Amino acid sequence: MAIGTGCTARPGKSRNNKTGSWRVFRPEFINEKCTSCGMCRIICPEGCIGENEEGLPVPDYDYCKGCGLCAEECPSEAIEMKKEEK
Amino acid sequence: MHAQAFPAFGVERRGAPVQAFVRFDNKKIRLRSQVYEPDYVIVQDSTLVKDVNVFHGMKEGGIAIVNTEKAISSPVPEGVRVITIDATSIALKHIGLPITNTALMGAFAAASGEIGFTALEDAVKRRFKGDLATKNIAAAKAAYNSVKGVA
Repeated sequence: MAIGTGCTARPGKSRNNKTGSWRVFRPEFINEKCTSCGMCRIICPEGCIGENEEGLPVPDYDYCKGCGLCAEECPSEAIEMKKEEK
Repeated sequence: MHAQAFPAFGVERRGAPVQAFVRFDNKKIRLRSQVYEPDYVIVQDSTLVKDVNVFHGMKEGGIAIVNTEKAISSPVPEGVRVITIDATSIALKHIGLPITNTALMGAFAAASGEIGFTALEDAVKRRFKGDLATKNIAAAKAAYNSVKGVA
């Protein structure tokens, strides 16, 4: 099996290995419901949820694996997991 | 009927592409090597098509089953038939989880004709119990019917 670019089998930093393609479900952030409590940022095992100047969560879909923990944890149900087309 | 099944993991890191091989024959199988010239290929994740030459070693008349919602854009070797099936959606609908194995087995049975659906049903029943078996058979049946409609 010849391995090309984009696979995590190649040597290098983990930052080079974008793991976003592993997702089946994609978290959609509903900013109107968000209270900026920051739980999603804390719970994210990938640490791929950032924050903008208004304090709203900004996910990095290049690395989000779609585990759904943020949506599970969100107290105001401002995150919905939606099936993604790859 | 004799069968062999074994995996190859390459680099042992999460997210690396992995392969698994199956050989079956009416005679005893003496060959113990990795499969280099497959008759059939099942691709469980469509993102692999972009990263890896999934059709490597395939011969004319071979069938590749790819789990994807979209059409395959990468070049396919001559004489190889590609069947795309959205097994993830089928699995989510019937099993409730994005575990596509039994759906893809149904697609393989329909596309290749090497195994009958009743044989697949028996195998799933032996592997899973009760409700889980019913759900997995439903997923396999849905995939089987969807591929039969194409072929």
